[in-house]
Amino acid sequence: MLSYNCKYELKLLLRSRWIQLLSIMLLLLFGFSIYNGLEKVEKRKRDITAAKEEVKENDAVMLKLLDSVEGGMEVSASPWTIPTSPMAVGNYHPRVAAMEPQSMAFIATGQADLFTHYVKPRVSGDDSALNFAEMTSPVQLLFGSFDLAFVIVYLLPLLIIAFSYDVLSAERESGSLRLLAAQPIRIQSWVLQKLGLRFFWLSILVIGSLTIIFFAVGLNPFTEMTGFLGLLGLIITYMLFWFALAFLINLWVGTSAKNAVALLGLWVVFVLLAPSMLNQLGNTLYPMPSRTLMINQMRDLKAEVTKKQDEILDNFLRDHPEYAINDTTQYRGFYHRYMASQKLVKEELAPVVDKFEGQLQKQQDWIGRFKWVSPAIIVQESLNQMAGTSTRDYENFRKQVVGFASDWRQHFMPFLYNNQDFSQKDYPNLPKFQFEQRSSASFGVIPVLLLIAIALFGLGFTVSRSSKKGNILTAN
Amino acid sequence: MISKTFLKETRELMRDGRVRIAFLIVIVLLGVAALISARQYKNVNEQYELAKRSERAIWDNQGEKNPHSAAHYGTYAFKPKYPLSLLDQGVDKYAGTSIFLEAHKRNEAQFSAATDQTGLARFGDLTPDFILLFIIPLLIVLLGYNSFTKEREMGTLTLLKSQGVSAWRWALGKWTALFFPVLIITAALFLVAGIVLSNLDDFGVFSWSSLFIMFVVFVAYYIIFINIVLLISSLAKRSGISLVVALCIWIIACLAAPKAASNIAESKYPYPTRQEFAANVLKDKKEGLDGHNPWSKQAKLLQEQVLKEHGVDSLHQLPFNFDAYRMQKGEEHEAEVYFKHYNYLKDQYIKQSRIYKGLAAISPYLPARFLSMSIAHTDYATHWDFADAAESYRIATQKFLNDNFAENSEFGQWSYRADADFWKELPAFEYNPPELGTILSDNRSNLFILGIWLMASFGLLMFTTKTI
Repeated sequence: MLSYNCKYELKLLLRSRWIQLLSIMLLLLFGFSIYNGLEKVEKRKRDITAAKEEVKENDAVMLKLLDSVEGGMEVSASPWTIPTSPMAVGNYHPRVAAMEPQSMAFIATGQADLFTHYVKPRVSGDDSALNFAEMTSPVQLLFGSFDLAFVIVYLLPLLIIAFSYDVLSAERESGSLRLLAAQPIRIQSWVLQKLGLRFFWLSILVIGSLTIIFFAVGLNPFTEMTGFLGLLGLIITYMLFWFALAFLINLWVGTSAKNAVALLGLWVVFVLLAPSMLNQLGNTLYPMPSRTLMINQMRDLKAEVTKKQDEILDNFLRDHPEYAINDTTQYRGFYHRYMASQKLVKEELAPVVDKFEGQLQKQQDWIGRFKWVSPAIIVQESLNQMAGTSTRDYENFRKQVVGFASDWRQHFMPFLYNNQDFSQKDYPNLPKFQFEQRSSASFGVIPVLLLIAIALFGLGFTVSRSSKKGNILTAN
Repeated sequence: MISKTFLKETRELMRDGRVRIAFLIVIVLLGVAALISARQYKNVNEQYELAKRSERAIWDNQGEKNPHSAAHYGTYAFKPKYPLSLLDQGVDKYAGTSIFLEAHKRNEAQFSAATDQTGLARFGDLTPDFILLFIIPLLIVLLGYNSFTKEREMGTLTLLKSQGVSAWRWALGKWTALFFPVLIITAALFLVAGIVLSNLDDFGVFSWSSLFIMFVVFVAYYIIFINIVLLISSLAKRSGISLVVALCIWIIACLAAPKAASNIAESKYPYPTRQEFAANVLKDKKEGLDGHNPWSKQAKLLQEQVLKEHGVDSLHQLPFNFDAYRMQKGEEHEAEVYFKHYNYLKDQYIKQSRIYKGLAAISPYLPARFLSMSIAHTDYATHWDFADAAESYRIATQKFLNDNFAENSEFGQWSYRADADFWKELPAFEYNPPELGTILSDNRSNLFILGIWLMASFGLLMFTTKTI
């Protein structure tokens, strides 16, 4: 029976042009979305390279200036930008702290359109002045991006629904179910076989079209074997989940139209409602403190600090006697006071800023615990992680940059407080930023998804409606 | 015939368990969404009031200070939330809420809510606009997909034909039966929203006419969907096919087209990155006058010019502090540079909008979305308007401070301190969003596109049902 099923199902799918239609749609959807993703990644790479080039050019100018000044020549630059002053180097010649894209970055835009991929921390200004939000039209953020993740999470289930909602009901409606009932096979097994075959063909089409598109856009899936296989594994288990739902609905509900409505309802619940409700609950349980009120606090603190600048500097120097020893001039200017108070502001504000991070972390944990209510969330999150564009990746980048900003500031402190000039020989010692990818994609969700799908299939087998009512032929 | 069909269809819908459940779910969701939004609205507004007041207090109590130090110390403009955002949150989540106003620099609005949320936020929020724009059209698809196909499937079509029914009356009956429940839900929601909003204490900007226009936009949007769904139902052979096709239209219109539009718009008319933008501004700034740099070429030129104008030969003989004067001139130059670069951004955005409008040909969602956001003051244009208002205020503030510095001190007198009371004289920042009339005339093209959709879908429906 299985071999007949295989043979006729394929014939049927080919003659009803389902296979042809699906291949074209998959090629178009995958093609367009991957093209979009790659375009974004290209732009990101271009921007970072351009920024680094600019720094290189500026550095050349700086070294030339230093050379002239050290040679005792007159220079035409504004006096406060001359790089013998360490603060000028720290402010006008910042390094690029960039987050290079991962090799799979094109599969999911994730938070990539929301956050910037490089910043240039300076010595003055505080960490909150580092704006990590990218300059984008909010309309684009609202609509989101047509990326591969969107095709997989949103559209693929709909294709599956369209492909499988009437597997059983169509037979009943066309009258051929009576013929089938005469065959020596359980109805569940027959539906399972039929859906299994459709799942098999759709998987082949998905793998085939993805591979074709990968080659067409000049990516070699075999160089990134684990990533590519992980991606396929994720897609296929997600598909299996939707086929399992289709199996249940086919057995439990009735007419084609009712099946379609029920499956669609599930799609709305899993893909649209569950994520937004989870997000809303997370926000309500762990609300973010107000940024506007944070600004107030910050301003108050700064106003107070400005008034007490001299006192703060004295205290600072008492805490750091090493700065006072080597300097014979003991000159104290604007920057001496400024940097000392800046440090104080940062320390005082730390609890306020940490509160934001803490609440975000709590929201993350909450989602981590409850993301299992919807496979759509799991798949989207995994794809974002694979692409290195998840919230966590950007948080990670933010932390590393803040760390680097502090290094950068710290690097110039001895120069400043010892009133020591910055010179050419100090140039190679400037701190450099290197982004480290911390979270790597985990494929642990694949077996879990697989288990969920298998459990659903098992449920269909044991609790099937036919066993209760006895007549699947006329069920409506 | 129209009323009979209407009654029969309505009764049928009411007896259908699925329809009842679907209706119930939509109403519950709407209620929850409205409740959440209302709470958030209240919360944000309280924070806004508090922030505004304490920021002003911080400004007023600066004590004796050099006006230019105060300019660097700066102040903040906070973006208020408007009552109709209760119904449509628009881009509020993605646009910053506070702008730092300081000397020499135009800053962008900071701290959008989305940057403080997890990645899940990108799936969308459970807000009334989500229900109004996505779920109700889906409900229309579910209610109407088998409107005509069921007559075919049950064989009642032949019966009807034998009655000599005029096709358009019959179709109109079905149309009203589908339209009526949708109208009731929408009207109820808007009415409740109106009553809630008009009872809030600070409903200064709330107007019933805006609410009504928004209601009309949504009703038009739903009529388009009803027409499309009925059109498909009248053409399809089976209910299943009709449902799948109608769903495809829904997906394309509500999900795929906006995303595709956003990708196309971005690749065709990209924004510079934040850093690029800053670098471009810096480059242009350097070419002009820097208020802090008396040794630059431009500063010397200005000096000569001012000396000549006043017929004196030393800066000390001028009736005002030339340092402050130069500072103000530098400020004006910088403002011009920012104006130019922000205009470029605006230009890119206008070009992007054209792409959205172009793709509205396959998606009635787009014009409806843009219209409802505009009316609710939660669209990007209002954000621009707010940012521009904040910038004008910043420029005025700088002039106010520099003028005080110039008039009350002499050249080189950097030790000058303005009175502690002086800061209170600065007028407070007030922002009024565009009026309804302006919004509608700005959105002429969206209204036009929505109108075309409305007429075209009606026309097609009439045309096909004639020959059913």
